[in-house]
Amino acid sequence: MALGDLEREVMTQLWAAAGPLTVRQVHERLSRDRDLAYTTVMTVLDRLAKKDVVTRQKADRAYLYAPAQSREEMTASVMLDALTTSGDQDAALAYFVGRLPPEALAAAIEAAKRK
Amino acid sequence: MTPLLLGALGLTLSLLVPGPLARSRWPDRAPRAAVLLWQAITLAAVLSALGVVLAVPEELSRAYGSRKPVVAGALLVALAVAAVIVARLLISLWGVTRRSRARRERHRLLVDLLDRAERRHAIGPDHLRVLEGALPLAYCVPGREPRVVLSDGVLQVLDRAQVDAVLAHEQTHLRHRHDVVMESFTAFYRAVPAPLRSRVPLDAVHLLLEMVADDAARRVAGPEPLRAALEKLTDAIPLTEDAKPDAWGDARRRRLDRLSAPRPESAGLSLVAGLAVVALLVLPTVIVVVPWLDRALAEWPF
Repeated sequence: MALGDLEREVMTQLWAAAGPLTVRQVHERLSRDRDLAYTTVMTVLDRLAKKDVVTRQKADRAYLYAPAQSREEMTASVMLDALTTSGDQDAALAYFVGRLPPEALAAAIEAAKRK
Repeated sequence: MTPLLLGALGLTLSLLVPGPLARSRWPDRAPRAAVLLWQAITLAAVLSALGVVLAVPEELSRAYGSRKPVVAGALLVALAVAAVIVARLLISLWGVTRRSRARRERHRLLVDLLDRAERRHAIGPDHLRVLEGALPLAYCVPGREPRVVLSDGVLQVLDRAQVDAVLAHEQTHLRHRHDVVMESFTAFYRAVPAPLRSRVPLDAVHLLLEMVADDAARRVAGPEPLRAALEKLTDAIPLTEDAKPDAWGDARRRRLDRLSAPRPESAGLSLVAGLAVVALLVLPTVIVVVPWLDRALAEWPF
């Protein structure tokens, strides 16, 4: 299984969980329907923490991992990032099919975020 | 004469030409050639500026004789100014490339994590990602590992043929590396001192690249699905009062008009624009070389 797919599935588990999870808990949830090494899960969580998409805190002797943002928050900020043409700054990040006024879209995304 | 001619050429290309060219409508019928023309205009303006700077010491040497210290000094200053111009352009290009690469890399990581892989079965390419959310968004993130991103909203609003048209449009941006074209224009824009810079070429080229992608998508998926997709995606959000509907509305209307036309591209216009490109790239060189050749021949002893 590709590393990218595994990262996504680990995030999906963290987003689905009620609270922070240990490596063992993530490993248990992911190995229900496949064979997966504990150390692989540990490596993936470590990578995600280094990329600042999950937070890590120490509880007793194990690390607890939680998503840095909820799925909805992260989706909204990704969309805003794609829409933001930083004006004088740099080339656009993304190329849209229909260019809606970014202001209108940004307002809609912000509104969805607040819900 | 040489510096004056080059200066006039450079100023014409950077101050007088962009406005009318951006307002004219013929580029809609030859978008690819028009992009090349914008590139040639920008490059020729840079070459003219460099030519002016480097030609000044020669003029001085002719006026005062080549032994005078003022000529040697002017030569040093001219070389320094030319070096600064080139360095500014290169640094700007490096900065723009580096920053957009970092931003795209981060964006790619996040869309990969947020991807609803189960919702894109049988839709399309490996690098397609689907985001949750009713807001219809379709875009691509270029780079060495490109991504095409659709939101749930797009899959709800568009039918399969329209989604394919959208994908073909985005694939064209990625395959033709439109990001590199835009980055070079952005780098040039940023390298020009603030009071002189103009967004006109940047915006014009951006719209032209959209038209290039439209034409490619139209060849793959037909004009109707693309037209419908464009209409649906740009109608999805009511415009707010403070949004500027004019600029967007105008670009949108021009693209929709082209998609209704039976043959949007004109071979004749492309050819004329192509000839203009060649002329622009040759002209600064001719202005520098011809007087030199003239003098060299005049001093030829036989």
